[in-house]
Amino acid sequence: MQLTGKQVLNASPSKVWEKLMDTNTLARVIPGVTTLERTGENSFVSTLQIKMGPVNGSFSGNLQLEEITEQKNFTLKVQQNSKIGNTNAAIKVDLIPVSSTQTEVSFDGDAQLSGLLAGMGQRVIGGVANTLTKQFFTNLEKELEAS
Amino acid sequence: MSTTNGIIGKSVKRVEDKRFITGRGKYTDDIILPLQTYASFVRSPYAHARILSVDIEAAKAMPGVLAIYTGADVADINGVPCGWLVNFKNGTPMKEPKHPLLVADKARHVGDAVAVVIAETQEKAKDAAQMVMVDYEELPAVVNAAEAVKPGMPSVHDIAPDNICYDWELGNPKAEVDEAMSKAAHITSLEFVNQRLVPNAIEPRSYNAQYDSTSERYTLYTSTQNPHLIRLLMCAFVLGIPEHKVKVVGPDVGGGFGSKIFHYTEEALLTWASKKLKRPVKWTAERTESFLTDAHGRDHITKAEMGFDKDGNILALRVNTYANMGAYLSTFSTCVPTYLHGTLLQGLYTTPKINVDVTAVFTHTTPVDAYRGAGRPEATYLLERLMDLAALEMNIDPAELRLKNFIPPFDGVTQPGYQTQVALQYDSGNYHGVLEKGLAMLGYKDFRKQQKEAAKNGKLLGVGFSTYIEACGIAPSAVVGSLGARAGLYEVGQVRVQPTGKVSVFTGAHSHGQGHETTFAQVVADKLGIPMEDVEIIHGDTESVAFGMGTYGSRSLAVGGSAIVKSIDKIVEKGKKIAAHKLEANADDMEFANGKFTVKGTDKSLSFGDIALTAYVPHIYPKDLEPGLDFSSFYDPTNFTYPFGCHIAVVEVDKETGKVTLKRFIAVDDVGNVINPMIVEGQIHGGVAQGVGQALYEGAEYDNNGQLTNASYMDYCMPRADDLPMFETATQVTPCPHNPLGVKGAGEAGAIGSTPAVVNAVIDALWSGGHKVKDIRMPLKSERVWRAMQTTVN
Repeated sequence: MQLTGKQVLNASPSKVWEKLMDTNTLARVIPGVTTLERTGENSFVSTLQIKMGPVNGSFSGNLQLEEITEQKNFTLKVQQNSKIGNTNAAIKVDLIPVSSTQTEVSFDGDAQLSGLLAGMGQRVIGGVANTLTKQFFTNLEKELEAS
Repeated sequence: MSTTNGIIGKSVKRVEDKRFITGRGKYTDDIILPLQTYASFVRSPYAHARILSVDIEAAKAMPGVLAIYTGADVADINGVPCGWLVNFKNGTPMKEPKHPLLVADKARHVGDAVAVVIAETQEKAKDAAQMVMVDYEELPAVVNAAEAVKPGMPSVHDIAPDNICYDWELGNPKAEVDEAMSKAAHITSLEFVNQRLVPNAIEPRSYNAQYDSTSERYTLYTSTQNPHLIRLLMCAFVLGIPEHKVKVVGPDVGGGFGSKIFHYTEEALLTWASKKLKRPVKWTAERTESFLTDAHGRDHITKAEMGFDKDGNILALRVNTYANMGAYLSTFSTCVPTYLHGTLLQGLYTTPKINVDVTAVFTHTTPVDAYRGAGRPEATYLLERLMDLAALEMNIDPAELRLKNFIPPFDGVTQPGYQTQVALQYDSGNYHGVLEKGLAMLGYKDFRKQQKEAAKNGKLLGVGFSTYIEACGIAPSAVVGSLGARAGLYEVGQVRVQPTGKVSVFTGAHSHGQGHETTFAQVVADKLGIPMEDVEIIHGDTESVAFGMGTYGSRSLAVGGSAIVKSIDKIVEKGKKIAAHKLEANADDMEFANGKFTVKGTDKSLSFGDIALTAYVPHIYPKDLEPGLDFSSFYDPTNFTYPFGCHIAVVEVDKETGKVTLKRFIAVDDVGNVINPMIVEGQIHGGVAQGVGQALYEGAEYDNNGQLTNASYMDYCMPRADDLPMFETATQVTPCPHNPLGVKGAGEAGAIGSTPAVVNAVIDALWSGGHKVKDIRMPLKSERVWRAMQTTVN
């Protein structure tokens, strides 16, 4: 399943980068996060609770940041397991300065689903992913405004 | 044989429908046995994965859990067998990997069973199954049969590193076909996919196995199409338990369409577990579980070429097919793309040279086997798409092209059967008749005018033809034996006349929607001259029915009905002896008609009821005759039967959206003699709905990782009543010359004939709008049709 999206945020690339690299912020802005713990310099263990239509379950697994270019881009490797199926994803995130106070965050990735997640229809899952993405950006905007 | 009382040929209402439509059908899941337990399976979420460990401790500790078995527990038990051996071209046997009851080393398709949890309730079993922790190492998967054979692809089984199960060839030598093809004035070639379908019986698979430690006997209730075959395969090939210690019952079964022919791993596993636990174990598939584990149908990737001379006469046909077997060999999987597909490529035509080459391939997908039509829809699709496309390419009328190439009519009695280039000998046929009838129903000349008018008004109207033949009445045992079948395919019919003249009929055929309890009773009532209410049809129980081979391949009436007729003949013959003795006449002078035994040329007669009673109260009785009136017969057909027909679809294609609307559907089917026209029409309706479903809506979609991405009704589109027009049906009757009822079978015809008619109609509509499209991949979703229009010049 392809995952793509972008959003212009009212903050400088350095500010956005700072937020994206902060575990506490991430735990607040990623929808459904119940725990997010750093296990290494660029790796985390996480549990997520997601309930949306047929997608209802507790996901647990690892997040890993790779190919990091400071304030420009990184690749997020996601590996999550749940009773309703497993997910493996690699998502490249790019920060592109629009102006001194605006940054476009875009992401492009591919998620491989298995089990019920795959079988229950990627059409539905795609919709869920879109909604979660919107939530993520909305949350991130709020964080940026608050700080 | 006796004359009739006229019930044959009447649209008698189905006697079984009363219980079905009032909710009183009794299905396997309705059966709850004393001390019942329930099973739930732990299934692989990966198409290909090494199983590193299975941790059952947490699940085992859960309340109500009685047992958990994994692949290690059943490692010493055989896998489920394949019922048909096909050899490679070089004579070596096909690759036949073990299909274990639970996998221990590797999962080979999504849904492969890794463990089973048995608990006091269904809910507890399901909850505990979620707690079984399986550590998988995911491996790369292969899903496409044509890709799987390429070097460097992952192997499904070590014994077939190139994923090839067998290669196979039939017909004239390749060189001869190539030579004929080289002389062709026109060659129509087509590369296409006959996509994978999910059978979707309304009743999911369900099994309930019981072991009685007192008698040391097993009973298996199973939603199957053939209880005796399941017993034979399970006892002799899998569990090694004596057959006479096992009773298999197929109670009411809610549809099969082929998917319930096969012996599934769950049947044997539950039977084995019931002895371990000394308690009955039941499992019923959930819908998505059915999508993942019921054997699928079709899945051919084909390249076909047909050569014509300048006048449109067919010179040769060349076919190459990759047939997807899935991860394991299901019971009849190997014969579907070969002996049920390659042998049908003569179609209705006089094609002098035919060569078909089939490669059967393992992939990391659900096993593929017979689904309504099984091989014959693929053959028909291939031929009929080629014919309509050739007509468009050569600018010859598609009806005319067919009429020109049809085999001339033959009745199989005064004229011999037709010997094809691909092994079969057709029994009887009148192919011109069905097409001409279809053209008349369509109002063909007028249609072409309508089509031109529509084009002026910016609408794309199309007509598609399909003329099909199938090989049914499966099957002559010696013939199929020589082709690799590991079973005989006769049928058994027992007719037990009770002392009161009521009649119990035991048949090895099995009804799961076809209406045997009505059709078979009509035959018996007619032949014996008694009311239908006096006849009971008993099927689906290995204890009450002597033996049987079940229902598939449109065989029940042609083979099962013929076995019953043989027994009726024996009853009448014995009845004549009893009547002659009582009437002090010679048995040779007796005749039987309308339920009466009469001395020829006199008014001296005795009723069927009198003779029945005398047979059981033999006070005045021939000295050399046994009492009783009860005969059992085995009927082994001498040939397949060959139903045929003509299906015509009219569609409208929306130029803006590509949406296809089926406007008319005409079906003229020749299924030989018809016992119950209403039931035949119903079978045609159901089959056509499924065939239209394949053309327009259905298709299993795997992603590159082997995940079935439409494993529920949210994404797998089934045809609905409002997608379909009122079908216009008619029959033609060309009796089968080699069975006593003259019947050919009607169960699969609708699904075989309809699919190419619909696709051809869409292609015709597009050509009428100037879009010279050769093929659109089924199902013809709006998007695919729209794209086809965008990529072709208007």
